[in-house]
Amino acid sequence: MKKPYMGKILMVDLTGRTIEEEAPSEQVYEQYLSGVGLGAYILYNRVPAGADPLGPDNMLGFCSGLLTGTGSLFSGRWTLVGKSPLTGGWGDANCGGTFAPAIKRCGFDAVFFRGISSEPVYLYIKNGRATLEDAGDLWGRDAVETEEHLKERHGRKAAVAVIGQAGEKVSLIAGVCNDGGRIAARSGLGAVMGSKKLKAVVLDGVQRVGAHDPAEMKRLSRQCIKWVNFPLPLTSARVFARVGSFLRITPLAFPQDGLLYRSILKKWGTGGMNQASVEMGDAPVKNWDGSNRDFPPAKSKAISPAIVTDRQIVRYHCYSCPLGCGGICVSGGKYQRTHKPEYETVLALSSLCMNEDLDSIFYMNELLNRAGMDSISAGSAVAFAIECYEKGILTREDTDGLELRWGNTEAIVALIRKMIRREGIGDLLADGTRIAAGKIGRGSIEFAVQAGGQELPMHDGRNDPGFNAHYSLEPTPGRHTIGAYLYYEMFQLWKRVKDLPKPGMLYTKGDRYTVDADKISMVAACSKYMNLANAAGMCLFGLFVGATRTPMFEWLNAATGRQTTPEEYMEIGGRIQTLRQAFNVKHGVEPRDNFATARALGKPPQKEGANRGRSVDIEAFASGYWEQFGWDGATGKPTAETLGKLGIE
Amino acid sequence: MPYSITEKCDGCGACVRVCPADAITGEKKKLYKIDGELCIECGACGRVCPRAALLDAAGVPCVMVKRSEWPKPELIVENCTACGLCVDACPAGCLEMSEFPRSGGFDAYPWLSEPKACIGCGFCSLECPSDALVMKKPEKTIKKETAAARVASEAARS
Repeated sequence: MKKPYMGKILMVDLTGRTIEEEAPSEQVYEQYLSGVGLGAYILYNRVPAGADPLGPDNMLGFCSGLLTGTGSLFSGRWTLVGKSPLTGGWGDANCGGTFAPAIKRCGFDAVFFRGISSEPVYLYIKNGRATLEDAGDLWGRDAVETEEHLKERHGRKAAVAVIGQAGEKVSLIAGVCNDGGRIAARSGLGAVMGSKKLKAVVLDGVQRVGAHDPAEMKRLSRQCIKWVNFPLPLTSARVFARVGSFLRITPLAFPQDGLLYRSILKKWGTGGMNQASVEMGDAPVKNWDGSNRDFPPAKSKAISPAIVTDRQIVRYHCYSCPLGCGGICVSGGKYQRTHKPEYETVLALSSLCMNEDLDSIFYMNELLNRAGMDSISAGSAVAFAIECYEKGILTREDTDGLELRWGNTEAIVALIRKMIRREGIGDLLADGTRIAAGKIGRGSIEFAVQAGGQELPMHDGRNDPGFNAHYSLEPTPGRHTIGAYLYYEMFQLWKRVKDLPKPGMLYTKGDRYTVDADKISMVAACSKYMNLANAAGMCLFGLFVGATRTPMFEWLNAATGRQTTPEEYMEIGGRIQTLRQAFNVKHGVEPRDNFATARALGKPPQKEGANRGRSVDIEAFASGYWEQFGWDGATGKPTAETLGKLGIE
Repeated sequence: MPYSITEKCDGCGACVRVCPADAITGEKKKLYKIDGELCIECGACGRVCPRAALLDAAGVPCVMVKRSEWPKPELIVENCTACGLCVDACPAGCLEMSEFPRSGGFDAYPWLSEPKACIGCGFCSLECPSDALVMKKPEKTIKKETAAARVASEAARS
């Protein structure tokens, strides 16, 4: 019977230029699956405590998911792991495209790098044979150009992960790109790749991935496709924005079925929420200080999903995705084609900075993709700089003459360009807001909206406190792809996992802000589920369809041939979470230092808009959440007993 | 079980050229060898070997088939979800997602961008979860075969 994993990993030492194969034990795959779990296992054991994230001791891993290539759907996410230079602790980021299956097709579950090369190099694997090649001619080129170049050299079928100028210049908000601008952006791991002088990883392989029961895998996939294509009428973008307004005005909260969100993703992509999010108070405005009143529909109509998708030529599907939330758009200007700007990018560059020019967003999106810079962090850094300028903390001299006012499109574009090139004030901001605020001083840290150094994404935790809990308490702080109350409702986990609370049919919004045992177990369940998903290589949007309709647990069983229950799988998720937290503790991160900036928690609460008067008591969440994983409730550190039980040394 | 090469091999090298996995090695005019770890059982070697020296995964000797008669994938676009499993499964790199949407839709579709490179392995069709790809022999071959069958049946009748 075939296994869903290849059973081999590749270890590349860039200093000594040696390449070795290793075979992790069966037990590792059983306890941690693959993907982020395998990555955490390897890095926890091999990166020495206190290692410099940009030094030779840090490791960078490209991991494929356990379900990738087994005939399951939504399983095309690969995970980049390393010690984050941005947060100083555990770092991971995942990305779609075609890179995930390519790792396995080369015969490996993951490729790890350590050491630092003296010259720019790239790794090329052709049918299981790996070599380090000179990348001197590629250094300095942007990500899309480099990818094109490497595909011309090694064949169109090759999958390429690459850093742009931001990674080369070790900007701490750099990510790693593949497939022409899809990017594993968070945690600043592009800087680690840049510090290692590793320009790209090129994979070209044809190995086949097995599954214990391929027929069952296919049967489950067919079922899933039926749900993904389940017809559901959807209104126009204009009406949909008004639905957002309604959700703001009503005192009631409605648990949502993921099928609705699936329709939005199918029709418009993540950008479907652009306007509605601002309206309902989900999207932060004016560096988290403003509200929907500052960015009313008259302004936000510039980023209406209908206008964005008007430029779309064709929908973009990542590998094994029947949904296709991405899009290839006409960009105009210098670059012919661009990936459709995602929700996060659009909001970070529009409402957060009060920018109303969609053309500029398309342009900056392409610039950032090519440079390999995280658009969430970049947008946050711009908003931070504007607020500092408006408040007189930064002067015209500091900004190299840029008139950094809210909504000044020209200045925003110029600043983004400067950040990519690390010129003048751009150099200051290219390492994220926390470091920039540290250098500027004068109370500017108050305006740096981040958690543990990671800039917060475009979902307001004052609107859905679940977001704030995850922003503040995860081993990777400041992430919107792990959980929220909304996500929990869409995952419908209570239908598959015993003892999880079922949300009521209708409840008042105020209920969301009281922290009780049910809420804590909901938040913890999201964490466990997403760790499992990241180990399996699954996409969040696929899981939104619902745990009974996107059968991850069943796929895992059919792929491995085990009879593991959903409860046991959730335990695996908890184990990976604990290992990531243990990595943080080993490297001296105090979990309490990761709490989100006071402003984002609603301290003090806002005076107007959708989230007026709302604040989240993160302290009340913290101890309960940590105890769910067997960590110390006061410090957030895994107890010796828990580590012993999970077999973590 | 991977494919294997028997003593019949005369080292012509046809299989090496067609193997998408670089699994076959050897010197010209000597017995070639298949690396079991790299072999993906696509069967291309078996279809090109003029000496019938290839044994398939079950140990059955392969029969040579003229390349123009190899089956090729055909798309039933209504079934296709554009998930791209087929494009990824193709070891020859001859399938591609279209740059433009299908008529009347928003999604791209897989198409045989390099029909000459297709090795007829059928992995694309095998991986497809929605039966959108069917392996079909080229029209000409089918016509030829039906004609041959007719002749044979007529001969049998008379």
